[in-house]
Amino acid sequence: MPPLNRILYVEDDPDIQMVARLALGMVGGFTVEICSSGQEALTKVEAFAPDLILLDVMMPVMDGPTTLLELRKLPAAADLPVIFMTAKVQTHEVNSYREIGAVDVISKPFDPMSLASTLRQKWQVYHESLT
Amino acid sequence: MNPLPDWQEELALLAKAYTDEVPSKLAQMRSIWSQFCEQKDQRLLSTLHRLAHNMAGSAATFGLSSLSDQARRFDLFLKKILDTQLPPNNDQEQQVLAFLDTLYRVSPQAQVEKVTVFEDSQSLGLEQTQRGNPSQRQNKLVLIVDDDPALATELGLQISYFGYQVKIFNHLAELNQAIDEQIPAALILDIIFPEGNLAGIEAFERIQKKQAVHIPLIFTSVRNDMEARLYAVRAKGDAYFTKPIQVGALIDKLDALTSHPQEEPFRVLIVDDEASLAQYHAAILRQAGMVTHCVSDPMQVLQPLHDFRPDLILIDIYMPQCTGLELATVIRQQETYVSVPIVFLSTETNQGKQQDAMRLGGDDFLTKPIRPERLIGAITSRVERYRTLRSLMIRDGLTGLLNHTHLKEQLDLELLRAQKYQQPLAFGMIDLDHFKTVNDSYGHASGDGVLKSLARLLRQRLRQTDIIGRYGGEEFAVILPNTTPVAAVQVMNEIRDGFAQIHHYANGKEFTVTLSCGIAGFPDYGDQRSLCDAADEALYRAKHSGRNCVVLARPQKHREAT
Repeated sequence: MPPLNRILYVEDDPDIQMVARLALGMVGGFTVEICSSGQEALTKVEAFAPDLILLDVMMPVMDGPTTLLELRKLPAAADLPVIFMTAKVQTHEVNSYREIGAVDVISKPFDPMSLASTLRQKWQVYHESLT
Repeated sequence: MNPLPDWQEELALLAKAYTDEVPSKLAQMRSIWSQFCEQKDQRLLSTLHRLAHNMAGSAATFGLSSLSDQARRFDLFLKKILDTQLPPNNDQEQQVLAFLDTLYRVSPQAQVEKVTVFEDSQSLGLEQTQRGNPSQRQNKLVLIVDDDPALATELGLQISYFGYQVKIFNHLAELNQAIDEQIPAALILDIIFPEGNLAGIEAFERIQKKQAVHIPLIFTSVRNDMEARLYAVRAKGDAYFTKPIQVGALIDKLDALTSHPQEEPFRVLIVDDEASLAQYHAAILRQAGMVTHCVSDPMQVLQPLHDFRPDLILIDIYMPQCTGLELATVIRQQETYVSVPIVFLSTETNQGKQQDAMRLGGDDFLTKPIRPERLIGAITSRVERYRTLRSLMIRDGLTGLLNHTHLKEQLDLELLRAQKYQQPLAFGMIDLDHFKTVNDSYGHASGDGVLKSLARLLRQRLRQTDIIGRYGGEEFAVILPNTTPVAAVQVMNEIRDGFAQIHHYANGKEFTVTLSCGIAGFPDYGDQRSLCDAADEALYRAKHSGRNCVVLARPQKHREAT
């Protein structure tokens, strides 16, 4: 299993961006790039080369699912695992995110102290599912 | 020495920054709403929706749960309007304004205005608010629906003495809207209504269907037959009380259904001469929500042991100066740390060495390198057991309050703290009036019920930082840090008053019990002994001035003079 080091997080809310930096960078020890919009993610994903992408579902202009579909068109992001971050945790919605290719869904609000370990677990499960 | 890891401080800073930002966020929402009212541009409504949605997500992350809850309701409400693609009608516009008001009311700023800590006895009123409402963020709303107004009012009154906020409805039809307005912490529902012999149950089933979360539910009824009970169980009722209702038992149930006590994080002291390895293990444990403190020089362990008060000590076996085994022996030879679990960590696979370690008071032996899950698991189970044992050692079995010995220990600690920070402290001794008569007339089980209800009332009415103990028999004691004796008298008088109004039941009979209380304060009384004596003497005077009252100890100077 390759290590999980680089995470790209697409999130429009500046407050959540701050906590995410803390939760993923300081607590988790990951290298983190935060994008404020789907468009920004599309321009940055190739240069940053993340191991994993976290996508907020509800964003203005381009929402999470649309961003995912756009990312899939880029060679650099075609196969990257994507996890949705959302406050909507109804089962049918979770299923619909999986259908469009999300690896998993993490519900908001997340606990900043345990987000990193949650991601590591999901990373492991994801790789076990590949083999 | 600061045991908090940097990022927890960092998070606290972020949370503070966020809290400071809340008023401007709310102002922004208000301004967008007024713009929408003028321009009727749906895009503005979408923006408002997004702001509410974001606040729902972010506020909870920073620990502002009631703000988050309300923002979530606002978010869903706006979503519904947006989905219709129609402009909001008059009624909905009013509701938006109500939501904006509610958000302000539950914002931390509005809360702070209510709970400003008092500086002197003049602003006591503010302090009262804080004590009377110990858990601002906790939902304490209880709905009672019963078509017997007298019974519902009486029950509501009794429940409200225990810190619950109660709303009473006499018609089933009103319940629906009440729940739409605010989801209660619990619902107390009669079964028989004019609509039918099982109408309460049926109404609840319809309401629950629309809710995403289960609403804690207590059924009350004169019916005690299998049919009613079975339907109640099927409707997912959490409890069933037959009338006349045992209020004490009902409150116990309410407490159990509504309280979600947050356990303190486990505290682990790590002693390893290799600082980077200690940090690595610390990081793993912190990920699991524990608080850690690392010591790389075993000769320096005594001070952190005392200051950090670990639930468990993780020790590397091979260290220069002093081996882990020696260190464990040193720690174990001190009375206070006899029961703190010690776990050894080493590359040692030699069985003999491991047995030595266990013989010297080690509780477990982990071999390096260790998988994070194994480390977390081994430590969690040890700490849980230690905490359970400790709780049995320091708490009174009936009331769950601190026992005599431990209360005295806490009083010593709090006195030291008060001296260090030059803050006042109040100590109160409480004794139930004519308790022997209660036991003699109603039996010991009823007496125990009375003791429990006082314990519960004290817990509900006092602050988290106040310390409550059962001194023995029908005697209780409270330590109120950073409180002047005069303020303490006010607080205890409220509690005395509330307690006198609680109805106790035994064998179909109803009775009330009163209490007397004596209070003394630091710095009037400078040490534990004189403080306890003075409070005891004040209690004695309370008993002799007719009971059911709170008496303040005379200032020491005055007392010596007379």
